[in-house]
Amino acid sequence: MGPGYEGVFVVGAGQTAYEKRTEKPVQRLIWEAADLALRSAGLGFRDVNGLGITCFTLGPDNVTTMTEHMGLTCRWLCQGLYGGASGISAMLQAARAIQHGDADVVVVLAADAFDVSSHMSMNRNPGQHDYMGPWGYGAANGVFAMQTRLYMQEFGATREDFGRLCIAQRENAMLNPNALLRTPLTMEAYLNAKPIADPLRLFDCVLPCCGADAVVLASEKVARGLDVPLLRILGGGEMHNYPADDIYGFSAGWEMFRDRMWSTAGCGPREMDLVQLYDDYPVMEFVQLEGMGFAPRGGAGKLIRDNDCTVRGTLPINTGGGQLSAGQCGASGGMIGVYELVTQLRHEAGERQVAGAQRGVVSGYGQVSYGRGLSASACVLGRA
Amino acid sequence: MNAMKPMPRLTAINRPFFAACDAGELKLQRCLACHKHIYFPRICCPHCSGGDLEWVPISGRGTIRTHTLVRRPQHESFFPEAPYTVLAVTLEEGPLMYSRLTTPVAEDANLIGRAVRVVFSEEAPGRRLPFFELA
Repeated sequence: MGPGYEGVFVVGAGQTAYEKRTEKPVQRLIWEAADLALRSAGLGFRDVNGLGITCFTLGPDNVTTMTEHMGLTCRWLCQGLYGGASGISAMLQAARAIQHGDADVVVVLAADAFDVSSHMSMNRNPGQHDYMGPWGYGAANGVFAMQTRLYMQEFGATREDFGRLCIAQRENAMLNPNALLRTPLTMEAYLNAKPIADPLRLFDCVLPCCGADAVVLASEKVARGLDVPLLRILGGGEMHNYPADDIYGFSAGWEMFRDRMWSTAGCGPREMDLVQLYDDYPVMEFVQLEGMGFAPRGGAGKLIRDNDCTVRGTLPINTGGGQLSAGQCGASGGMIGVYELVTQLRHEAGERQVAGAQRGVVSGYGQVSYGRGLSASACVLGRA
Repeated sequence: MNAMKPMPRLTAINRPFFAACDAGELKLQRCLACHKHIYFPRICCPHCSGGDLEWVPISGRGTIRTHTLVRRPQHESFFPEAPYTVLAVTLEEGPLMYSRLTTPVAEDANLIGRAVRVVFSEEAPGRRLPFFELA
């Protein structure tokens, strides 16, 4: 059991509109998400003294110049560099800062403004750019097509197994007014969609878009003065470059920190009312379910077959539709699940509310390099 | 005229690898401490974190760990060649190398475990890269 996160509360969350294109600079999207999150907490920008930002398209700005743009004076900053694992990682680090008095109110957010072409041509790390790019690897679609094919071969998973999860998420998205893809998805349409990088087809791949997600963390002293539902961080963890010597280990480290995370939280997978997974590709959702202990290695397909993953089901997953149906705003894909989990636990999810949700887990994954993502994170949240 | 293909950014660390490829030879770094082969080119040994490395020729043989048929390349320069097969090859010496298959195969072929050997393909003027053919 690790040290807990006593004295820290999640008090707000905000999400901008998700749009296929926008004229707005990403800096404005960051402000919008921060503004929405602070309003949901009953706080204002003058209350903020900590800021964490993850954003691929922020340069030449950075988290420090963003304090200048927004007129904030901060004593704690964090610029996330782990892609889709960063949002949760920054929350866990912010919680430690708040526990030790280094900050009182921290906004953690992620944002990006991408379309398909700009996402394909983004500046990439050496593992991808220099040792995959010159061979025409197909960007992330190629990377995860190779992961998916090997996973299917090793564990006997089928396209239908992945399809069931994608279809459940689409059903959830149909209840989310901010999701970009809200038309019903049938198994036939999933299986016969346009091939992208075999075995991946169109609905295995996210829709790059523009938007931002944010949460607000506060000290107990601040939180007790607010008239909003209070959430606690029950446990969490992160891991980077695991396993160091195997690109096809079907893990990024969740199983290395899950026991500590669950024992700190005092609960386990069976006690979760809902799950938010990093769904850049369905195969990685399977890997996260297995890594966090919801199923044995190779057993996620059976788990999905045995459960209903919609908001009315036995194992609600990605209750807002996830990146696969709501859209992936670049690095904000690492926080769409955080926004969704906080909104659900505050019982503010409207038509897609999971009835009586008390506890949930959200995971992050990112920094795709040579053949795989290097960073994994997760945290468990619960109503205080 | 198609756009130029994206080529690797050359550094003091990786230049010997690409120079050997241009000469039609596959060379990898090997760690003088733990004797393991290394790919992609590194600043130090990723197996033992030691800093003394040498460049050695390798066999050019390996087996396909996994693969995909890329239909939507990441850069327009590849569009005329698509679809094509991208490979993850486990080299006989240990490391995993991403590359392309030159042998024509059925679109739905399962190539996992198939033996391959290196060939070199000129992908930009004067720049040859290691591709693989079925052995």
